[in-house]
Amino acid sequence: MLILTRKPGEAIAIGDGIKIRVLEIKGGQVKIGVEAPSEVMVHREEIYLRIVEENTRAAAEAPADLSSLASVFGGDKARIKPPPTGNK
Amino acid sequence: MEERMMHAMATTTCSKDQGDFTVSTSRFGELSVNPEKVLTMTSAFLGFPDSKRFMIKPHGEESPFLWLQSLDDPKLAFVAIQAPLLIPQYKAEISTLTRQELQTSPEEPLEILLILTIPKENPEGMTANLLGPVAINTEKRLAKQVLQDPTRYDACWPVFTMDHEE
Repeated sequence: MLILTRKPGEAIAIGDGIKIRVLEIKGGQVKIGVEAPSEVMVHREEIYLRIVEENTRAAAEAPADLSSLASVFGGDKARIKPPPTGNK
Repeated sequence: MEERMMHAMATTTCSKDQGDFTVSTSRFGELSVNPEKVLTMTSAFLGFPDSKRFMIKPHGEESPFLWLQSLDDPKLAFVAIQAPLLIPQYKAEISTLTRQELQTSPEEPLEILLILTIPKENPEGMTANLLGPVAINTEKRLAKQVLQDPTRYDACWPVFTMDHEE
């Protein structure tokens, strides 16, 4: 891992399009500004990981077919209602 | 995008004059795909960087479920549902930047899908990912998973509430 030391106001450039600037250091927290092209996704790592995890779980659990699901819509305990027929 | 389409045509079997191509999938076998129906992810699903093209396959006429089948990975498919069908009041926040990415103007409505996680052993334990809905520009066939505010929305929201009051 590349490790760089920066002061508030200073930045790191990654490639041509990405800049990461230290804005403020206060009370054990660092405020960081990120400039990046819109197609580059920037997220807090834990949220990113949460989505990766849930996407992976959704893909792994996706049933071979959904016929087993017919039954889960049967009861009136469901919060979800099937859409009215004819709804497209 | 042109190039990607050319590539698809080259690696899959062409059929008929309409330009439909077939893609083999692990769940649905050979699927005939109309190139005009192909959804292109402007950013791939997190965790699945190599799947940029998907198609939406309704589960059945009466079913609220949709399949998001990858055209790049035969095994990858998500079960999804249109957000308003599940939670009418759900409102995904879509930034101006994301709208630009999806090539849509601020007024145009986007279709919002929620990805469902359906535990194989316990379908009633189904959850919806409200943290990472999929926004689709239906006209341009562009889609993106758009992360929402984690303090408002959960990645595994239980679809069914078990009501034990009798």
